[in-house]
Amino acid sequence: MPDTQPKRRGNRLGIWFFKALMKLAGLRGAYALLYPVCLHYACFDRSAVRSALPYLLRRFPDLNPLQRWWLAYQLFISQGKNLIDRHALVAGAVNFDTSISGCKQVAALSAAGQGFILLTSHVGNWQTVMHSLERLNKTVHLLMRPEENLALRAAVQVDTEASRIKIISPDQHLGGMVEVMQALEQGDIVSMMGDRTYGADSVEVNFLGESARFPYSAFHIAASAGCPVVVLLSSKTGVNAYSVNMADVLYPKLVRGQDRKVQLRDWVQQYADILENYLLAYPLQYFIFHDIWA
Amino acid sequence: MDKEIKLAEIREKLKVLLVDQLSLEDITPEEIEDDSELFGEGLGLDSLDAVEIVVILQRNFGMEVKDMEKSREVFRTIGTLADYVYSKTEA
Repeated sequence: MPDTQPKRRGNRLGIWFFKALMKLAGLRGAYALLYPVCLHYACFDRSAVRSALPYLLRRFPDLNPLQRWWLAYQLFISQGKNLIDRHALVAGAVNFDTSISGCKQVAALSAAGQGFILLTSHVGNWQTVMHSLERLNKTVHLLMRPEENLALRAAVQVDTEASRIKIISPDQHLGGMVEVMQALEQGDIVSMMGDRTYGADSVEVNFLGESARFPYSAFHIAASAGCPVVVLLSSKTGVNAYSVNMADVLYPKLVRGQDRKVQLRDWVQQYADILENYLLAYPLQYFIFHDIWA
Repeated sequence: MDKEIKLAEIREKLKVLLVDQLSLEDITPEEIEDDSELFGEGLGLDSLDAVEIVVILQRNFGMEVKDMEKSREVFRTIGTLADYVYSKTEA
């Protein structure tokens, strides 16, 4: 699927049906409908299965095509549950039980007035996790194109007066970098995506046994601003339970006189290793339907 | 007159800092024109270089990022950058 125009699946009637079922039968009822719907996509939507394969081929290199198809089906169900959870959150239908590891050190950074970069990935349901950041009592600035993540805007209040979640668009002057630095200076959180370039400058790192391209701007900004990078990972661990991991905090530094890109690559590799380790434990929570290894 | 001397000093200092901190290899401070565009055509800097310029302004001129509300005009050339630094530090 192309970067700019991802294929949208599911029509309004279908989404309405899922929402209605959620109201009538709760999360489990809505989840039950996922199995036949995802089976339909797994059997008849070849582009959907194809988009899941780049990841599955690297994460499960020894499986045969049928086994990989089965995992693609499982991955669709897993993502479907995350999408339903998002709607449940917006509707206020469910209180998700979220356990957070690394909360203390992040709370300490916040309490000290330290701005930091929150590096997110396509793992778990980071949009829903944004809710749990409210307890930090900090403004979170999302570096993303406003139109890019409609799901997030549906899940959490963004850019309203009451909301503490704001958007910095990379399309504005200087890629929004002045605004990013401003946010960090005032002790806010800047959230960026770490595992897909979306056209940004990138480096090649080893990820799941092969060379993949990851963006490095988060580490460049952090090194320049003298702030840490907190790696945010999350996964759905039960019907209404999520676990959030913010235990890995990196403090990028760049030595002057040495190749900047080579140094940044080392920091990005550290992040890629953290993500890879996480995927060993939660393989069906990675929703990267794009070939980042290409 | 005093203002012009100060502005010239700021411009020269900015040129040296840019070449040094951004590791610009193909150009010397003397070769940078006051009205050369910093981004795109001109010096060809990118958005991540803007981060470094912000840090240069913070560390060397004591400026805060919240002062840089008009970044589109301020970050255009060495001249506009110097004018801005002057307006915030000397005026």
